[in-house]
Amino acid sequence: MKFTGMILAGVLSLFSTVAVSETFTFTAIPDEDESQLRTRFDKVAVYLSEQLGVEVKYIPVKSYSAAVTAFRNNQVQLAWFGGLSGVQARRLVPGSEAIAQGFEDQFFKSYIIAHHSTELAATDSFPVLNDYTFTFGSKDSTSGRLMPQYFIESNVGQSVDKIFKRIGFSGDHSRTISQVEAGVYQVGAVNYKVWDTAVEKGDVDTSKVNVIWQSPTYPDYQWTVHSGVDKTFGAGFKEKLTKTLIGMKDKDLLDSFPRESFVPASNSDYEPIERVAKAIGMLD
Amino acid sequence: MSQLYLIVQVNPDKMANTSSTRFFPFIGHWQRITLGLFLLVFVCWFFADTEVIALEPWAELGRMFTGFITPDFGATEYLLDAVWQTISFALLGICLGLLLGLPLALAYQHPLIAAICAFIRAIHEIFWALIFLQVFGLSPLTGILAIGLPYAATFARVFADILQQAPSQTLFTLPKGTDKLSALIYGRWMHMYPQIVAYIRYRFECALRSSAVLGFIGMPTLGFYLESAFRQGHYQQGGALLILFIVLIGTIRFWAKPLMLWVYLPLAVYFLPELPVFQPQLIWRFVSIDILPPMLQGQTLTTWFAVDTFIAVFDWAYELVRDQVWPGIVATLVLACCALGLTHVLTLIMLPLNTTLMMPKPVIILMRGINLILRSLPEYLLAFVFMLLLGPSMLPAIIALALHNSGLMVFLMARQSDDIIVPLTYRPRLDHYSYMVLPVIYPHFMGLLFYRFEVIIRETAILGMLGVMTLGFYVDSNFAEIRFSGALLLLMFTAGLNVLVDYTARKLLQAPRDKLQAC
Repeated sequence: MKFTGMILAGVLSLFSTVAVSETFTFTAIPDEDESQLRTRFDKVAVYLSEQLGVEVKYIPVKSYSAAVTAFRNNQVQLAWFGGLSGVQARRLVPGSEAIAQGFEDQFFKSYIIAHHSTELAATDSFPVLNDYTFTFGSKDSTSGRLMPQYFIESNVGQSVDKIFKRIGFSGDHSRTISQVEAGVYQVGAVNYKVWDTAVEKGDVDTSKVNVIWQSPTYPDYQWTVHSGVDKTFGAGFKEKLTKTLIGMKDKDLLDSFPRESFVPASNSDYEPIERVAKAIGMLD
Repeated sequence: MSQLYLIVQVNPDKMANTSSTRFFPFIGHWQRITLGLFLLVFVCWFFADTEVIALEPWAELGRMFTGFITPDFGATEYLLDAVWQTISFALLGICLGLLLGLPLALAYQHPLIAAICAFIRAIHEIFWALIFLQVFGLSPLTGILAIGLPYAATFARVFADILQQAPSQTLFTLPKGTDKLSALIYGRWMHMYPQIVAYIRYRFECALRSSAVLGFIGMPTLGFYLESAFRQGHYQQGGALLILFIVLIGTIRFWAKPLMLWVYLPLAVYFLPELPVFQPQLIWRFVSIDILPPMLQGQTLTTWFAVDTFIAVFDWAYELVRDQVWPGIVATLVLACCALGLTHVLTLIMLPLNTTLMMPKPVIILMRGINLILRSLPEYLLAFVFMLLLGPSMLPAIIALALHNSGLMVFLMARQSDDIIVPLTYRPRLDHYSYMVLPVIYPHFMGLLFYRFEVIIRETAILGMLGVMTLGFYVDSNFAEIRFSGALLLLMFTAGLNVLVDYTARKLLQAPRDKLQAC
């Protein structure tokens, strides 16, 4: 019986609450290379902490929806979101704001890539993709799913499940590339930065798979901050935070995202994303 | 005329029992069930999408292979931490499961308790975790509850089954005035103590796998890094993590001695990751807003019963059922049935290779290793490899599920077949094995197989995340689109399906209990 008591005490202690300290917490998922997340972003936390004068902590998350949930539950007050997840998060937390975006995110784009056996050549006009097999990236990705789906549907004038013979969700940009390279799917949509990096590193055999179309530009990743930070961390905190993010010049830190630099952003920059998400039925 | 005469003579009750045996009296009960299963699988295979697409997988498979032969153990940050948390989540999850499951086992006869348990079991740990994530956030509590709750429901069922086999005579020999708890413990539990401990030990291995899998959605276990590494093609890191995981599972009996567990347990509690502040309002938000259909969110209770609201809710549910639930159920069942059939065949093929009645010691040791790898490899990883080889149909998922589950089946069956007492004339030959060993273990084999069917249906959830459009695929999509009400409706159907399958399987297996045990 003693043991049962001990287990009970142990389990009960889980329910006790830990004292609240005023720690500013953030999360980020980079669009490429998720290795060594904590090591990389703890450095960003140190930088933010030095500049802001508060304790800053990084929480690693696995998916955009987990990041949105953590943001909504106020477990993180600042998050590096993709275009779509940012819109989702700001709809769930009234008063939250997009304050900065990556330099590249002002004119982000997606590539459509095809396996060589399709004999599709790169074009400026939208290619004919009917009856091929097709893979998106992750379901909630802006550059791997939302925008490609929108561009395809608006160019062809049909819904994607009518256009393609088979549709998959690879779950990741790198996986989209490897699957189209292997011919598992004939055509795929991918984040342009991930593709360019993979080509640069020689991780992809461009005789097997290549870009056949690039999308018009759209806004993507951004920093979104919770509504209540000025109240918790003192007046003017949000402004100071914005300046600190934009003032991040250390290449080592910026490489974690990976972005050239950060520039100011606002909620209205992401209205196109919201419209598109509604148009294809991903938002109500 | 004579046939008509016969039918009139037989009373309807008996007719139901004997009419099927009359036409094929030479087909025994288990042969009947097996043929039925094959027929079902054959039909499902016909509907399944098993197209093989000619591909060029070798570049990617080559990268994978290179990764496995040159694993990089230094590539993962906080590696020891992840190993420890994998163990600790499993341990605490099992403890919670036992705490809840033991009392539930005593009340399992009650149909309501049994139904609730079947319902809880039916939802995959990952989905429990995704639900708890909304309420507790990224907290160790999410992970422990996600393991503990479904495990409690499983313990309840299995312990109830085990207890049923305990002889009841001991109860009458206890001294007068023995209190109820002692009577229960000494009169019933102790009879079954070895089986119970053996089962807990087996579940601990399962809990380690579950614990790792919870890493896929953000718990700080090995799965967190494993999934990222394989998803992004860092195969050297992934290979190292996988090797570590397999070794961890393969060496359980060396590091998880019962005595050591009393050391691990307090340590597990002590070294748990920091708990975020518990916010009761999140629970309230979840039940009062999140789980409601979109048109009811933020509406007062009185407006719920207005006619147009009612119609809107109906349309919402109808659309979900038509576009997601129905195709999801069909795909899930087709996939699960095909996987079940293949599991049956693979297990039957591998079983003779794993028993001392057929094979010399070295072969057995080799097969043990293969089994360990088969059952430790996450299905989604197997599915991904087969997807590169065979294309994006249902086939990779079927093969992955079958390989994983037959690995487990063989692991559970092999020991039993070793213990069979064979006549002195027995020689390790296939015909002797087929006539003297297999018939003895076959009823148990089928029982286990039908139980695995329940598990396979649940596991299709994981493959849904890989893109096979099972119920799990749609649940995952709803979670990704932050549509909890939709996800919950789908989960209800998933659970309902599982309860139905469980019920059918039990009916099928119960029949012979009062008739014939062996075939």
